[in-house]
Formats: sequence, structure tokens, C-alpha cells
Amino acid sequence: MSAMALFAREVRLAWAGGGGPAGPAAFNLAALALAPLAIGPDAETLAAAGPGIITFAALLATLQPAERIFGEDVADGTLELYALSGVGLAIASLMKALAFTLAVFWPLPALAFLGGLAYGLEPVSALVLSAGLLLAAPGLALVAAFAGALAAGLKRAGLLIALIAAPLQVPLLVFAAGAGRAAMDGTPTVLPNLMMAAAFTLAALVLAPLGAAAALRARLE
Amino acid sequence: MRVRRRFGVWTQRQNRPNSAAMSLPFPTASDRATVRASSVTLSRGGRTLVRDLNFEAGPGDALVITGPNGAGKTTLLRAIAGFIHPDGGDIHIEPAVTGRIAFLGHADGLKPGEAVRDALSFWSLLQGVDSAVVEPVMRRMAVAHLENRACGTLSAGQRRRTAIARLALSNASIWILDEPTAPLDAKSRARLADLIADFRASGGLVIATTHAALDWPDQTQLDLTEAATAARVSA
Repeated sequence: MSAMALFAREVRLAWAGGGGPAGPAAFNLAALALAPLAIGPDAETLAAAGPGIITFAALLATLQPAERIFGEDVADGTLELYALSGVGLAIASLMKALAFTLAVFWPLPALAFLGGLAYGLEPVSALVLSAGLLLAAPGLALVAAFAGALAAGLKRAGLLIALIAAPLQVPLLVFAAGAGRAAMDGTPTVLPNLMMAAAFTLAALVLAPLGAAAALRARLE
Repeated sequence: MRVRRRFGVWTQRQNRPNSAAMSLPFPTASDRATVRASSVTLSRGGRTLVRDLNFEAGPGDALVITGPNGAGKTTLLRAIAGFIHPDGGDIHIEPAVTGRIAFLGHADGLKPGEAVRDALSFWSLLQGVDSAVVEPVMRRMAVAHLENRACGTLSAGQRRRTAIARLALSNASIWILDEPTAPLDAKSRARLADLIADFRASGGLVIATTHAALDWPDQTQLDLTEAATAARVSA
């Protein structure tokens, strides 16, 4: 009950605060719009690069607001209150990361589908890519939250978050993009890629909150 | 006290300080807690702030920690709350149950975009306190008229009163307060003193730091000045 109350509050705060989903969505769209200007107008090249660019743009979009996930709680004293609340920092971190995924990162799979179509993927391939990102998005957010917890309250936390989170997000990037590419090429590795993306999200679901809680506990000292 | 309203209806005065005392989630006999510090030494940034400190505070007590800036008041409070591990000695809270401590630090723990009522309703829900208590607590700390205001638009004193209302909804048996009266006017200080008196009467334990005179009845003062520390250590 307490954990659900915390989840509901964090969804509300994440939706309303800092522009909600608008910032990451705009960042994602800008990356998708600018990449073809660098790659060139060749349709085949764009379609081949599409799954990778689209997933990479989504990854960057999850890093953009990561500083907010715990930084504000450290600054306004909420972190101390959560630590003493009896819910526990690991559960609080999990609820915050999931709430952030739901409230802020929900456009990413939809943008992946639209981006896939724009880059010349078949609708089915774009849909598979979108499904890959749907499975990877919670994992990306959980890793970003873990990095956000490590850097919470520090100056230039954004840079540190990118350095910590990006390498840990690589498997999710590889398998989400891999699913889209496999669908595009007609190879039978669509399902294994999707399942691997889901597996890494599940691993992040277990490990990232524990790491975030340890980092936040150290931050309280 | 009963007052006659404009339309002749007899009703309870809404802002009467004690009107909500019976319904607040204050400790019951089984919830009461004791804090015991044994030979506690604390340091920050390589400097020893507190040496060989011993004290015990139990249900109904008010321990007021005083001392100049940098004497270690906040460090000691954070150690009691469990955020900091002492360099020496230990601090025991009995019985050890999570969710027993309510904390009011320098920051008020409020979100700028959240309305006062939403914030207090959330904290009551998180601590398993009946949401019907939110209204009387808001009245008691004189924030009922601010219920729809975003916390970010409140004055420092209004934010502090809202944070104190959160304490009263915490279902905790120990309140740890860091400079609780700093931004409060005289009327608000009296409201806080009144709330704390009721909390202590229910068996609650209050540990607070202050630079101002709190004048809570039967309070125990813990002086962290260097001279007091030296006297304690040599005794």
C-alpha cells in the first residue's frame, strides 16, 4: 500500500515537474531529425541505420532527465523522509524509476514506431522495433536512475550520469535495435532479441534499486 | 470552546489549537520508544565535534540540543536518525522498528509543484494514517487555508508549518527536529509548542536543536559548547 502510494505520487510529480515527458521526447525527436542530415539522403542507407539510430536516440533521451530522478529529493529533504518512512530506499528507488518510466518515457516506443516508418522501415519492422524499446525502456530508466542516485547532489551530475549509465545500457541498446534489424532482414532472431531485452530489463529491475539505495544511503552520511 | 457563528449555529471553533488532539496519530503505549547514547563520538571533515557523549531520553521527554554554529548539533541529530554512524560508541533506539522516527531537517521535504493538501495526504497514506486526520492537522498548524496552494509558492514560515503538519501525520514515536522554529513567528511557535506538548503527553519523544529559546515545559538541555563537552569528558 505504502509503495503504491509512493508510486502514484512519483508519477504525478514526474508528469508535472520539469516539463514531464516533453523534454526527453523533444530530445529524441531532434536526434531522429538530425541524424539523416549527417548520414545523407540514400533511402537504403537510412533504413539500414534506422534501428540503431532510433534506439540510440531513445537511450540518450533517457539520460537527459536522469539528474532529476534523485537530485531534487536530495535538495529538498525528501530523501531523508523516504529513508525513514519504513518503505525502504530500495523500494522507493524502484517505485521512482518505474514512475519515471511511465510518466516521462512513455512516448519513446511510439516515437520509435513513427521514426521507423520515417526511416523507411516496413510497418511490421517498425512495430517490432517499438516493441523492443517498450521492453527496454524500463531497463534504460532503471540504469539511468542508478546512475542518477550515484551522482545525486553533485555538480555537473549530468556528465557523470552519462559516463556511468551509458556502458550499462549497452545490452538493452543492442537487443532492442537487434530485434528491429532482425525483423527488417527477415532473420529468425526477432523473438530472442526481444526476450534478451526483457531479460536485461528484469535484471535491472532487481539490481538497479539495490545499487541506487546503497548510493543514496552513502549520500545521506 | 464553543462560539456562535453568523447564522446562529453553535459549532466548534475551527482554529482552536486543541480541537484535534484526540484524533492525531500519536504513540500508543506499545509504540513508545527510548533513545540511548553511550560514549558517542562524532566527527565531520576530520574534526571531532562530539566526544564521549552519553544521554538517555524516553517517552514524554524533550531533549533540546544547543551550542554555537558548527558545534555538531545537526551531526548529532543525523546520527540519532541513523544517517551517520558514530566514530565511537553507539546510539540505540528501543524498540528498533523502522518508520518510528519523523525527521524535520533544514529542508522542509516539500515539492514545489505539489499542493499542501496533496503533500499531506500522501504522507498520511504512506504512514498508514487515516486520511480524515489531514484536515484537523492542517487546521491545527494553520495551513488549512493554503490547502490548494503549491508548496513552492508558500513563504518560509508557511512551508515550515506544513512540514510540521507532516510530522503530526507521521505515526512516529520520535520526532527529530533541526531548528524547528527558525522561520516561525510567535503565533506559529506557540502552535508548535502546543502540538509538541500533546505529542509528549501521549508518550512521544522529541529531540530538537535550536538557537532560540524554546521554553517547552520540563525540557532537558544538552549543551554542545566546547566547555560543556570538556566538563562532560572530565567528569
